[in-house]
Amino acid sequence: MKYLSQILDIALRELGILWRNRIYGFCMIVFPLVLVVFFTTMLDEGTPQDLPIGVVDQDNSATSRGLIRNLDAMQSSRVVYRFANITEARNAMQEGKVYAYLYIPEGTSSKLMAGRQPKISYYYTMTCMTAGSMAMKDMKTIGSLGSAAVGQATLSAKGATPGQIKAALQPITVDAHMIANPQGSYNYSLTTVFVPGILMLFMALLSAYALGMEMKFDTGKEWLARADGNIVVAILGKYIVHALVFLLVIFLYQWYIFDVLHFPRLGGVWSIVRLSLLQVAGGLGFGIFAFGLMPSLRMSMSISSLWSVLSISMCGSAFPVAGMDAPLQAMAWLFPLRHYWMIYQATVLNGFPVIDVWFHLVALVAFTLLPWFVLRKVKNAMLNYVYIP
Amino acid sequence: MSIFRNIREHFTDVLYIFKQELLQVIKDEGVLMFLVVVPLGYPLLYSWIYNNETLHETPVVVVDQSHSALSRQFINDCDASPDVDVKYYAEDLDEARSLVSRQLVRGIYLIPTDFATRVSRGEQSVVSVYCDMSLMLAYKAVYQTAMVEAGRLGAGINIKKAGNYTKREDAISAQPLAVDDVAMFNPSGGYGSCVLPAVLMLILQQALALGIGMAAGTARERHRNGQLIPADDPHYRGAYRIVWGKALCYGMIGAVAAAYLSMAVPAMFSFPQMATGWTLLAMLIPYTVASIFFGMTVSCLVRYRENVMLLMVFVSVPLLFLTGVSWPQSSIPGAWQGVSWLFPSTFGVRAFIRVNSMGASVSQILPEIRILWIQAAVYLGMACLVYRHQFRLARKYAND
Repeated sequence: MKYLSQILDIALRELGILWRNRIYGFCMIVFPLVLVVFFTTMLDEGTPQDLPIGVVDQDNSATSRGLIRNLDAMQSSRVVYRFANITEARNAMQEGKVYAYLYIPEGTSSKLMAGRQPKISYYYTMTCMTAGSMAMKDMKTIGSLGSAAVGQATLSAKGATPGQIKAALQPITVDAHMIANPQGSYNYSLTTVFVPGILMLFMALLSAYALGMEMKFDTGKEWLARADGNIVVAILGKYIVHALVFLLVIFLYQWYIFDVLHFPRLGGVWSIVRLSLLQVAGGLGFGIFAFGLMPSLRMSMSISSLWSVLSISMCGSAFPVAGMDAPLQAMAWLFPLRHYWMIYQATVLNGFPVIDVWFHLVALVAFTLLPWFVLRKVKNAMLNYVYIP
Repeated sequence: MSIFRNIREHFTDVLYIFKQELLQVIKDEGVLMFLVVVPLGYPLLYSWIYNNETLHETPVVVVDQSHSALSRQFINDCDASPDVDVKYYAEDLDEARSLVSRQLVRGIYLIPTDFATRVSRGEQSVVSVYCDMSLMLAYKAVYQTAMVEAGRLGAGINIKKAGNYTKREDAISAQPLAVDDVAMFNPSGGYGSCVLPAVLMLILQQALALGIGMAAGTARERHRNGQLIPADDPHYRGAYRIVWGKALCYGMIGAVAAAYLSMAVPAMFSFPQMATGWTLLAMLIPYTVASIFFGMTVSCLVRYRENVMLLMVFVSVPLLFLTGVSWPQSSIPGAWQGVSWLFPSTFGVRAFIRVNSMGASVSQILPEIRILWIQAAVYLGMACLVYRHQFRLARKYAND
């Protein structure tokens, strides 16, 4: 009971600190909510639509115009420029006006009629990979449709049925099942890692900040006195408030994406709650540990921020960890966000049992317990260190 | 007092402030970290992360219910492709699913019982592909490999049925309209070559803003009354000389960092480098200048040194998005396009990618260069304004 009342006492004190120092309000609530709005509105299209594309039509025939019309009608592409030659088109690409262009040389339609296999080319820039690969996909479809049109005309002239034509043009088809993200939406895959990633950045930064500020304004002694010098009680009381505020924000974010925007998920509510608890505990644990390693406000915050920014790349949601060099694959284990994301995609997105990613769960629990190793150092810092600006 | 003496005094003050600022940068380990260690080390780390560029041999599991020569050929073809590795065979879909669940594979190829029979009967045959969508790159590899190999296998079947006499006839009947697929400026579609130039330029702006902001925070904590400008130092007697003195110091650091980030790092990791020296100079000078005055303006908003970290670090990821490197510029909503105009990084990154990765000339990035100069001028004006305000505040407190 004594411990409980001490924890409550320190928690109330912490609540007062969070209320008075506006930085906490901004970093715990305002900035995360702004980020949720930022990413969900930014990626609202899901996949890029109507990318500006140019054409170089030197054939000027009904066939070439048909190809261009088809390209314009594709979902990701919009034909905005018609160039006289390749040089003009390349210049426009270097100026950032188009992401791709289709080149139809002179004589395409007459060669097609004569069965002399004309060649059209498409050029796309891969300096923006999402745009480049979307434009490429559309133009590839146009190219194979062009081929198919010829085959279809020949076959139907010979009297084949639609079913026969389909089988003859494409004997084997692929039936794709995009599990848990049937639209291939970037909103579903990017928002769900960047928002939690930046939230974990704030968790680590603010938990180091909270301890550092106690030292900076020399209130650490008073804080410890309230716990009768028991550092475990002091830490628990202090961070229970942080954890609750972060949990509230996380649940708000999850309610917004899953219930308002209807992001797909195959996992149940319990999988979300479990993940959120682990996320907050691991994130705070990492920040306290960073402060314990280097009990100085600026160094612990610098370490936390650099590590957390790095974790957004190291979690392997964009460029997979399996594609990195071996030492980096091992290092990926040291980033809490990596474990968060692995558990997220397995249990929440795909609805698989958590036992299949148990090692990531254990890792997050380990991050939660990391402060244990530095408790004495933190206490010592509070009692004996003097803040030097 | 003659005008020459005035000018001389002005320059002495500027140089004195320059020296003081530089000393502070070296003495404060927090500032040193963001102005020296971060621009030096961070790009190397990022380059290393993305150094392998592309993903090969994504593991998949095959459920072959057809057990035919044709299905085996399809599996062999997929396995032989660079992007997919057929790692497991499963009896049924449930077993395959449990392999996905254990993160051992990223996709399932299901070949149904009637796969070969349908082809023999002249009907359309189907291969089902189940993709784990958590990794976009892996999904693309799994799906596109199946598409390509199914198409190739189908073309082979068609050719056999066509009964042509020559190879040329075979080629034409398989593809009456030939298509040439040309990826430009990053032909292998490497992830690092695409993202890294943007990250490098962003690091420059963020490191300068963080370093300048932390130095300003330290200054406030050292000086009496928590003021940014020391009232007791005779050399700090005008807002403009303070702005110039500080800008000289950070300009020097920024110039070295910009040269290192734009030339040394890409060369070390063999990322694309198509820029000529003068073009690079034409965009890096306004970008660095704009970033410095941007940093100086932001630094005046900061009361405590740590707050600049809380403010500037988390915006890095949104800023990267606003440049249009990971999400195309044409798909960024108008409101966010407007917000992106506030930051030098938006135009610095765009100009750098065009110059560095696409070999653009100065005339092709002229709009970006103009905006960067405008930003530099506006932020210079704002820095002067806020420093004049700080200067007056310091005077007021000193007189009280």
